[in-house]
Amino acid sequence: MAMVTAAPSGSKSSPHRRPGATDQAPDGLIPNRIVLAMQGVTKSYPNGREALHGVDLTIPEGDFVFLVGPSGAGKSTVIKLLIRDELPTKGVVLLDGRDLGRLKRRDVPKIRRKIGIVFQDFKLLPNKTVRDNVGFALEVTGARKRDIEPAVDRVLRVVGLTGQAEQLPGQLSGGEQQRTAIARALVHNPRLFIADEPTGNLDPVISWEIIQLLLRINELGVTVLMATHNAEVVTAVRKRVVALENGRIVRDEVGAAYHRED
Amino acid sequence: MFAFVAFSLRRAWHGFWRNGLMSIAATATMVLMLVLLSGLIILLTGLDATLNYVQQEVQVVAYMKDSATPQDISNLEVSLQEMAQVTQVNYVSKDQAMKDFLARHPDEADVIGSLSTNPLPASLQINLRDPNDYLDIATFLKSQPAVDRVLNIKNTVDQMVTVIGILRAGGTVTLVVVGLIVLFIIVNTIRLAVVARADEIEIMRLVGASDAFIRWPFIFEGAFVGLLGAAITIGLLFVGQGPLTGFLSDYFKVLPVEASATVGRNVALIVLGTGVGIGVLGSYLSVRSYLIR
Ligand SMILES: Nc1ncnc2c1ncn2[C@@H]1O[C@H](COP(=O)(O)OP(=O)(O)OP(=O)(O)O)[C@@H](O)[C@H]1O
Ligand SMILES: [Mg+2]
Repeated sequence: MAMVTAAPSGSKSSPHRRPGATDQAPDGLIPNRIVLAMQGVTKSYPNGREALHGVDLTIPEGDFVFLVGPSGAGKSTVIKLLIRDELPTKGVVLLDGRDLGRLKRRDVPKIRRKIGIVFQDFKLLPNKTVRDNVGFALEVTGARKRDIEPAVDRVLRVVGLTGQAEQLPGQLSGGEQQRTAIARALVHNPRLFIADEPTGNLDPVISWEIIQLLLRINELGVTVLMATHNAEVVTAVRKRVVALENGRIVRDEVGAAYHRED
Repeated sequence: MFAFVAFSLRRAWHGFWRNGLMSIAATATMVLMLVLLSGLIILLTGLDATLNYVQQEVQVVAYMKDSATPQDISNLEVSLQEMAQVTQVNYVSKDQAMKDFLARHPDEADVIGSLSTNPLPASLQINLRDPNDYLDIATFLKSQPAVDRVLNIKNTVDQMVTVIGILRAGGTVTLVVVGLIVLFIIVNTIRLAVVARADEIEIMRLVGASDAFIRWPFIFEGAFVGLLGAAITIGLLFVGQGPLTGFLSDYFKVLPVEASATVGRNVALIVLGTGVGIGVLGSYLSVRSYLIR
């Protein structure tokens, strides 16, 4: 497995473009590759609940996107579709130009390794230390032991958890748990980072720290998609905001606030 | 590759002990099944060997009247040899019969020596191409004036064939039933192990672990139950082999001794293969539903 230590920086001038996967940018700048695209996506769960309806969303490489909206709007559903944990009822989901709906079962793991994801409930293993939780993602994808150690150390340094490496998740604060989950998501050097922020609000200072961390990751060239309820943070950083309501996209603005500004 | 095998083995080992009680129960039932299996194989092999021995040695024995002249006997011998069903005819004279008897029962020499005449009859020992032709030959022999009595080996053979048939059928049915029970127990043991790891498996799937990483630890765990069960069974057989062989050779008298080494090796291989096979199959069935949808 390739361990990229320096991701491409400067998203707008990223040299990692592939022909055929580009979009003509309206402002005439060099267009970025599309990492992620949803076209006319509708998702109905088996119980009949329609969580998404006709969603169109395009995310170019290097973007930083907040996915906002009230509880139950469909944010987590969007994320589940992007990692092919669920399949769309209608429409297509493209990741790196590949139609996830037509992906062969055995290719699913490869796609998932390109994505680093932090789940709304973290999904940390309570009986493993911070270090082992983070290393687990490498271990189960076939990394060699001697490659795991340095990679884990590196991401723990990035998220600032070097001092807590030997603690169990139960001995961590909420923010530290979230940072552990972020470290695990980053340990593969993903090109796309997705965070589903927990609804139970974290301390505002910690939320701020986490956002700073994600902005730094984004500056390294990683595309970031973050589902959040945190209005203050979203408004403060002025990035692209995609707002969902009742399973539909009601707003998609660059440099926006959490709420609509007229 | 090495990382994968090491990872799978480590998890299999932890999985086995995490559910210690259940794993031990599964191993115990596995041993029970394998002991039954090897017992049946050994018994059937012994009976088969005995049957072969009986069939090969002499299939028909015709005892001659003491009044029969050597001419009568050699005429009979010639006509037997001309029969298509007969492969071989041996003549055992009265003297030869006595020597054979003394060779087998040396301690009775005194008794025999005290006799004024040799009580043992001369006989013709006839080998048949097909034991089923016995009746033809027996009928022919009985019609001969020189023949006193035809020994009914056919009856013994028939009884053995019946016993072996019943044992084989009954044993196979019992084994299949016990085998299914063992499979059921293994499936449940491994399923418990899978459920205990449901969170881990979910994370593995979501971070991009391939099916192999999810499946093989459990397959190894099942194989481990099978391996342990087989090892215990082979150990038990090894310990019990002395008394068992003693019992068998006492009971059947004629168990060919030279066969036991190969029989032992074959039984060990069958026990090992069956144990590991059932363990692997059980695990495979348990994890199937937990892989990527
Ligand atoms: N597995 C499921 N089966 C049935 N319905 C589901 C399932 N998952 C989600 N839903 C429903 O789909 C809708 C969207 O859920 P989703 O989890 O995407 O919301 P969300 O925007 O992430 O909310 P929150 O901010 O509370 O996390 C909800 O009404 C929810 O009840
Ligand atoms: Mg959610």
